[in-house]
Amino acid sequence: MGGATLAEASVQVCGGVLGAPLLSGLIQAAKARLQGRRGPGPLQPYRELRRLWSKSTVEVEGATPVYRWAPATVAACMVAAVLLVPAAGVAPGWGVGHDAFALVGLLALARFAIAAAAWDTGNGFALMGASRDLTISVFMEAALVLSLGVASLSAGTTDLRGVVVGTAGGGAWATPALALAGLAFGIVVVAETGRQPVDNPDTHLELTMIHEGPLLEYAGRDQAYLQWAAAARHWIVLVIAAQVLLPHGRTVAAQLAALPAVLVVLAGALAVLETVVAKMRVLFVPRLLGVGSALALLGVAAWLAPR
Amino acid sequence: MGALLLSGVALVGTGGLLCAARSTFRTGLSLEAAGAAVVAVAGFWALASGTSVGGTFTNHLTPRLGLDPLSGLFLGTLGLVGAPALCFARDYLRPTGKDRAVGSLTAGFLLAMVGVLCARDPATLLAGWELMTLLPAAVILVAHQEDRHARQSVFTYLAVTHLGGVGTWVAVLLLARAGAIGSPGVIHAGSGLQAVVVVAALVGLGTKAGVMPLHVWLPRAHPIAPAPVSALMSGVMIKIGIYLMIRVLVDWAGPLPVWQGVVVMATGALSAVGGVTYALFEHDLKRLLAMHSIENIGIIVMGIGACVLLRNRGADGWAALALGAALLHTVNHAVFKSLLFLCAGAFERVAGRLDLDRLGGLLRRVPVVGGAFLVGSMAIAGLPPLNGFASEWLTLQALVHVPRYGRVADGLAGALALGALAATAALAAFCFVKVVGLVLLGSPRREPPVDARQPSAGMAGAVAFLALTCAALGVAPGVLFARLVGLAPWSAGLPVGMGLRLPGTGSLPSPAIAVFLIVLAGALVLVRGRGRAAALATPTWACGQMVSRRMEWTGAGFTKPLRLALEVVLRPQREVVSRREGGVLQEVAYRGEVPHLIEERVYAPTHRLAMAAATRLRRLQSGNLGTYVGYLMGVVLILLVAARLGLV
Repeated sequence: MGGATLAEASVQVCGGVLGAPLLSGLIQAAKARLQGRRGPGPLQPYRELRRLWSKSTVEVEGATPVYRWAPATVAACMVAAVLLVPAAGVAPGWGVGHDAFALVGLLALARFAIAAAAWDTGNGFALMGASRDLTISVFMEAALVLSLGVASLSAGTTDLRGVVVGTAGGGAWATPALALAGLAFGIVVVAETGRQPVDNPDTHLELTMIHEGPLLEYAGRDQAYLQWAAAARHWIVLVIAAQVLLPHGRTVAAQLAALPAVLVVLAGALAVLETVVAKMRVLFVPRLLGVGSALALLGVAAWLAPR
Repeated sequence: MGALLLSGVALVGTGGLLCAARSTFRTGLSLEAAGAAVVAVAGFWALASGTSVGGTFTNHLTPRLGLDPLSGLFLGTLGLVGAPALCFARDYLRPTGKDRAVGSLTAGFLLAMVGVLCARDPATLLAGWELMTLLPAAVILVAHQEDRHARQSVFTYLAVTHLGGVGTWVAVLLLARAGAIGSPGVIHAGSGLQAVVVVAALVGLGTKAGVMPLHVWLPRAHPIAPAPVSALMSGVMIKIGIYLMIRVLVDWAGPLPVWQGVVVMATGALSAVGGVTYALFEHDLKRLLAMHSIENIGIIVMGIGACVLLRNRGADGWAALALGAALLHTVNHAVFKSLLFLCAGAFERVAGRLDLDRLGGLLRRVPVVGGAFLVGSMAIAGLPPLNGFASEWLTLQALVHVPRYGRVADGLAGALALGALAATAALAAFCFVKVVGLVLLGSPRREPPVDARQPSAGMAGAVAFLALTCAALGVAPGVLFARLVGLAPWSAGLPVGMGLRLPGTGSLPSPAIAVFLIVLAGALVLVRGRGRAAALATPTWACGQMVSRRMEWTGAGFTKPLRLALEVVLRPQREVVSRREGGVLQEVAYRGEVPHLIEERVYAPTHRLAMAAATRLRRLQSGNLGTYVGYLMGVVLILLVAARLGLV
């Protein structure tokens, strides 16, 4: 393992597994400042996780193993996805591969597990959230696959390491393909991380919940797994945004050096977005994501046109 | 290999005969199952060794049989699904007169399918094809002698498959006339003959496979057959259409022009998205599963379309991979769909009926069958690390290579198909979350019927075997996939490995992913309740109310956001009738359905037109002998005049 790979591996594991809660903490802190509140510090998610870790879990009466396994499955999927998404153009083979479409499968498995658990407990709010989440996922997955498809067309491979290398520097930006895919992916980021205008992560009103709804029946360590998974989702999509769909350097050193700054800027952008945009009606979200798919298709057309 | 296949066929045949007698009924079904297993061994042997036995393809009408690796794959699939389905049938069917006939006819059905797969000449092929259509119709008619609705469904099935099936005859006979059966390159690329053959094949074989918009028979016929026969119909019979489609479109008709590839891919995309969308709004488990067959056939046809397009653009390696993806999905779908149909049969015995909103809690009541159903649901939803994900991943890879090698038009078509497949996978996951939730989880939504029967060990064993096959094909898809890529007439194949390691992809190390997910999730489950974090038992939280059965969610409620989001396209109908007395709401009746657009907009008007035309034509039938003699005279006169003018 070369020095560059070692550096990338440490960034990937430390950043993805340990640093992911900091991302959501940063967004919360920035949002509070933007809204004129003092708000919690950026380390608040860690305190939450520590608190949840020492609290007791809950067994819902009459629930099957589906309920017990769901949070662990979600967390395991997110760990696999963190290992799958490289933080730069090289990455050690963790054994899970680095394929863009395999990532889509892992995200789908996590969604399936938590929605099945909602059926298991029969909690109405959980089912409401799950059904909305799954509805959005239909349009989100199309936009996600298409925008990743444009990036992989530009790079000539679906190996995310190769995609990071292939989209580096100025050459890949000669056509508007990547820019259009980047716009599409931006919409996917908002939907997948459950941020406004798609979902409001701060809501305490169960009737409006999407991603939070299925989490209502969990407590203690189960809840900790789920909250960590939600934070890891931020890391996964923001790293792809930074290293694939935004301009990035050619060398691994440049990519790794710029990554923290870009992530902070992207987190800030999400905070600004949450401050200036209100939550949209849940039925309009598919249209927004449809726009994303259309943009990505335009990206494919832009990539095809010069050929 | 040939002898093995023949002995398997003989076993199935003998079993079918023994089924006819009451005392030997179960022995007969066992022999049929054993025969299916032997056929599977012979088929997979042919695939693994890559050798052919028996005759080669001929364009003459003299009967000839043979076996090559592609036939071997489909025979293997037939046996792999058939053996557990027949084991299941041993305990599912009773030696009553009706079920004995079903058992015997099932043997005939299996043999007809073997006949199509082994046929090496047009006559045997078409004969087997027709038998394969008629025998399941006979099974359904026998099983539902009294049911008028079932008879009507069978009539629709026969009418649609025969009208559409004309395409098969046209395609096969035109190919035979041109001498192209078994010898690609005879038909010129881009010729009119090629276009006619391809379109006819797409119509004829697509009808049998259940491709939209020719699918209307499928959700009617499949659910009413007995569970093992449903499993064979959805698992194997519609795949025979895929088998011939691959023979004709990929091999015999030669390299196809771009527009034909786009048409194939577009029909696949329509079937995939349409099938799964309507499946979401079904209320009956078996009908829902039948609609999902349309979706999966669509995914397979998309793979074939990608193969055709990539071949046209000279990307032979990726064309072979696309074909392999389609074939792998064929095997995968056969396994998990038959698994799900067999489970549905077992659930019917436990819970009475199969209306989704009245099931529930079956994972606890029938753990083995319920667990197998959960595995099958996750496989069909395309979730890692099961087999459906492996083949959908491969199809996604094939589709993303269509724009890479194509020009603007076919490239955009490939991108659209890519997006359609991604949406299909998400819709399938949505649908099977609903199914798993309504069938397996929660509490039973209806008291079990008095004659509820636990599934026997044989039934549970059959579904458990299929669930294990799903897992095995998901963990090590590479072993089979390497062989499937080698089936392309122009390719040398891939090195064999457990996972999927393809050039230009991030590779799918499925064994490692499976181990990783299971070990890590298991560890997290172990840690979750340790020490101070020990679990507390609580009721489901509902804002402090007591949770009652009236608060349970229905499938219609769960899918409502999607129904509203797609309202413009789907045009759902709902009817709410409320009764008030003195300003107080007394009762509310709700009825809602999502009508099938193709049936309403295409089939219903066609049906009305045909009936009107038939009424007109009936006036010709006076019943008077003199009139008929007059008709004959008229025909003779017209022929004479035509001959005189040199027209005939």
